[in-house]
Amino acid sequence: MKKTIVLLLAVAVFLFGSNAFAFDPIPEDELQVGFVYVGPVGDGGWSYMHDLSRQAVEEAYPGITTSYVESVEEGPDAVRVMETFVRQGFQLIFATSFGFMDQVIEVAEQNPDVVFMHCSGYRTAENVGVYFGRMYQARYLSGLVAGSMTETNTIGFVAAHPIPEVIRGINAFTRGVRAVNPDAVVRVIWLYSWFDPGKESEATMALVDAGADVIAMHADSGAAPLAAEEAGVYVVGYNNDMSGYAPTRHLTAPIWDWGVVTTRVVGQVIEGTWQSENIWWGMDAGIVDLAPFGDMVPEEVRTLVEEERSRIVNGEWDVFWGPVADQDGNIRVAEGKRMSDEELLSFSWYVQGVEGEIPSN
Amino acid sequence: MSVRIRVERRLTQPVWIEAFIPLFSIVMALVTGSIFLAVLGAPPLQAYNAMFRASMGDWLGIRDTLVKAIPLMTAGVGVTLAFKMSVWNIGATGQIIIGALATTAAVRYVYVDNRFVMFWLMFLAAVLAGGGWAAMAGYLKARWNVNEIITTLMLNYIALQLLYYFVYGPWRDPASLGFPMTTPFPPAARLPFLGTGRIHLGLIIALVLGVIFWLVFRFTRWGYEIRVMGESPRTARFAGMDYVKNVVLVMFLSGAIAGIAGMGEVAGLTGRLQHGFTAEYGYTAIIVAWLARLHPLTVILVAFLIGALHVGGEVLQIVMRLPLASTQMLQGLILFFILGGEFFRRYRIRFHTGEKE
Amino acid sequence: MDVVITILAAAVRSGTPILYATLGEIITEKSGILNLGLEGLMLMGALTGFSVSQLSGSPWLGIACAFIVGAGISLIHAFLSITLRANQVVSGLALTIFGTGASSFFGQRFVGTTIPGLGRVPVPGLSDIPILGRVLFNHDLLVYISYGLVAFLYWFLVSTRTGLNLRAVGDTPRAADAMGLSVSRYRYIAVLVGGGIVAVGGAYLSVAYTRMWTELMTAGRGWIAVALVIFAIWHPARAAMGAYLFGGVVAFQLRLQAAGTSIPVPLLMMLPYLLTIAVLVFITIRQGKGILFGAPGSLGQPYFREEG
Repeated sequence: MKKTIVLLLAVAVFLFGSNAFAFDPIPEDELQVGFVYVGPVGDGGWSYMHDLSRQAVEEAYPGITTSYVESVEEGPDAVRVMETFVRQGFQLIFATSFGFMDQVIEVAEQNPDVVFMHCSGYRTAENVGVYFGRMYQARYLSGLVAGSMTETNTIGFVAAHPIPEVIRGINAFTRGVRAVNPDAVVRVIWLYSWFDPGKESEATMALVDAGADVIAMHADSGAAPLAAEEAGVYVVGYNNDMSGYAPTRHLTAPIWDWGVVTTRVVGQVIEGTWQSENIWWGMDAGIVDLAPFGDMVPEEVRTLVEEERSRIVNGEWDVFWGPVADQDGNIRVAEGKRMSDEELLSFSWYVQGVEGEIPSN
Repeated sequence: MSVRIRVERRLTQPVWIEAFIPLFSIVMALVTGSIFLAVLGAPPLQAYNAMFRASMGDWLGIRDTLVKAIPLMTAGVGVTLAFKMSVWNIGATGQIIIGALATTAAVRYVYVDNRFVMFWLMFLAAVLAGGGWAAMAGYLKARWNVNEIITTLMLNYIALQLLYYFVYGPWRDPASLGFPMTTPFPPAARLPFLGTGRIHLGLIIALVLGVIFWLVFRFTRWGYEIRVMGESPRTARFAGMDYVKNVVLVMFLSGAIAGIAGMGEVAGLTGRLQHGFTAEYGYTAIIVAWLARLHPLTVILVAFLIGALHVGGEVLQIVMRLPLASTQMLQGLILFFILGGEFFRRYRIRFHTGEKE
Repeated sequence: MDVVITILAAAVRSGTPILYATLGEIITEKSGILNLGLEGLMLMGALTGFSVSQLSGSPWLGIACAFIVGAGISLIHAFLSITLRANQVVSGLALTIFGTGASSFFGQRFVGTTIPGLGRVPVPGLSDIPILGRVLFNHDLLVYISYGLVAFLYWFLVSTRTGLNLRAVGDTPRAADAMGLSVSRYRYIAVLVGGGIVAVGGAYLSVAYTRMWTELMTAGRGWIAVALVIFAIWHPARAAMGAYLFGGVVAFQLRLQAAGTSIPVPLLMMLPYLLTIAVLVFITIRQGKGILFGAPGSLGQPYFREEG
């Protein structure tokens, strides 16, 4: 019971945590913006995409100074890095990994004049906003493509860590697959690593050996698309357009554009209109999208994806509106009901069509 | 007429050599580093100045450096202990993780809402678990002479997988929306901070441990025996010293101290265990122990300097906009030069002119 | 049966980078020098192999350059530990830090690109052998070269004059010196050649296995190789066994998952490490107490020739 209350509180903070609190405007040529990355910018994935959003800020506001620290461990090091930014006079800090959450709050309490934006977390404060995107919408659309293209009706999913964000993505993808192909199943391999190109490549081959002819992924390197290209199976990338890794096999990829958020926040801080908010934008805002289709994707599939996209963008429908069945076919979300944001954020069960179990549940 | 170079072992090491050589090595490294920095387009003096100011230039910097140095000091003392006996414990990383896991277990399963009691419970848990973890490798070495470099290295990986198992599985905080982290520690399970910064009780523990083992090695019979066993196991055996028992004991203590470092990190700083807890600095502790020439008090100083190098490196990224990679290369360079400099501390080079002898 | 074959083939494929690194380290350690900088060497090898392949269009030139760069960086370690008699553990760790930094630094512009790399070349005739053919002879050329290297190294260490000399230098440098061998020369060559082979292991990862470059892409394989050297007791054939065992456990758990089996991955991933300890204990006990068979007698100790 106590735990439920804590959970509800956390969600309430997530949803309604915004506070009215005014910050003074900062002239563009005086504003310094710091970025904290969990991986190396050269990972070609998560941290790389966040660094693109830093570059987007520099392009949009040429007078601004930006800087970053890469490969910061999620722990005491993160506190020090953010404090160093503050001491060097940075007035806006983007912390771009979930694991920085406690540390962001800690530093923000000590420095109420500095604005913090934390990516993918749920704790906010007067000077701490959080931002994330509804990647699951793009994943659903990519599932439509994958479901249309599979012939063996087995689709492989190379997944990093069993956390709600990844599970939500697998579920959305699978909903897309099943919407066009009720016989297809999705098989998941957990790597327990965000970043190990060798293992991602090996996992891809293992899925191909198990009969998968389309591979989707939630990991940070391009190793899976490369392996898929070599094995001659289709692949759905992630993070950015990965067709460079799989020129003849890349169907599409759900992609991030964090610059949509960073440039807006920077603009608000310059104008002095920034307020703490929870940004969980969807495809309509452009923070998530699909990479261009590969040539092999037939016209009718493209049309279908376009139709579904406009339904989502216009708010007529969303991926986890009922009915949603779990793996055993039990209806978890009834027709006419919608999964709430808090349910989405703590997703810990597979929808119908995913094979296997979520570890440690 | 030919010039002949001869290398001779120094019989005595004058004080000025002890002090001058390491300083000279560092200067050489900085000079080489400045060429490198200049090539990257960063004014070297400005860069070094920024590094120094951020890590040691004022109290805030010193504070940051101290916080970073606490686990390095603690684990460094632990590693030193084993190295004294020529037992190559490179498993500080795993022992730190196990110490952190045991601390978390103490908070979960035997929580007492009293800061004093809770501290000792966590301390005991970290010591027993970290010590026991390392003692396994010690026992294998003592009993069958199984190579401890490998067992401790392997135990590092096993410890990391155990951490994953617990934070993804049984210990996952239900309020964290499914993210792999444990419930935050209650206030009574947090180590007290000293003063305003984030320097916690762990600093005192590290200093006390450093002093204790300095005294032990300097003044006690046991400390002497350990050194003899490290330098010449054969002599020790003839003298009737119990090598087997002491290997296990030394590994236990070494691991226990690393375990305390792990406790300091979770109970002192993060306040919960989470996925990103990696304790890579367990390897850095080995470098610290060696640079300090296995002297427990010097370990404290060297840990501080290495901490400063790390903190300063971040500032290079922020102020000079240099990638992490360039500061890593700089760190590697400094180590190379210090290592090379050691040669001139231990040996002297003589130039002889004249005909061949 | 098919599953078993694919797992075994995957074990060979994913074990190969570790095998190269292990073989390189065996050569180095046989001379009495311990090099813990494998992770840094592999990363530099991976970057060099990839970048040269991309710029020149020739993967083999890339691999050759990886060997040269690996040997070149090992020269730092050789100079410090042989000529200046520095501590080898610390020098190796410094090499890892330096190599990691240098590879990330110079590799930035290659992130996100790809190369054709090495393709699969089934060996005519041999690849048709049932089971074994698909497990062993359906890979790229670098895998076959590693088989040859295992055999060559065994022959070299056991049957050649130079090999015997190398072992003498590693076991009892004083005696070797008295025999008129140049301890320094043998050690320098061993560290350089060994480091070059380690770097080829890194290049295998980027040029043949994934055909891409990303920072830190070795993901700890260098450290596993350090362990495998002792697991193999400095024996090239056992090194191959160990490397494939490591690759096999990973391939096995991934395929269990691909088959839809739910397994506690962290617990399973402890297996190779536990197994290493178990095998090490077993082998050590069987050899009796005392020095491990094959362990170079002066490993990690600098040699100092007292002059009159």
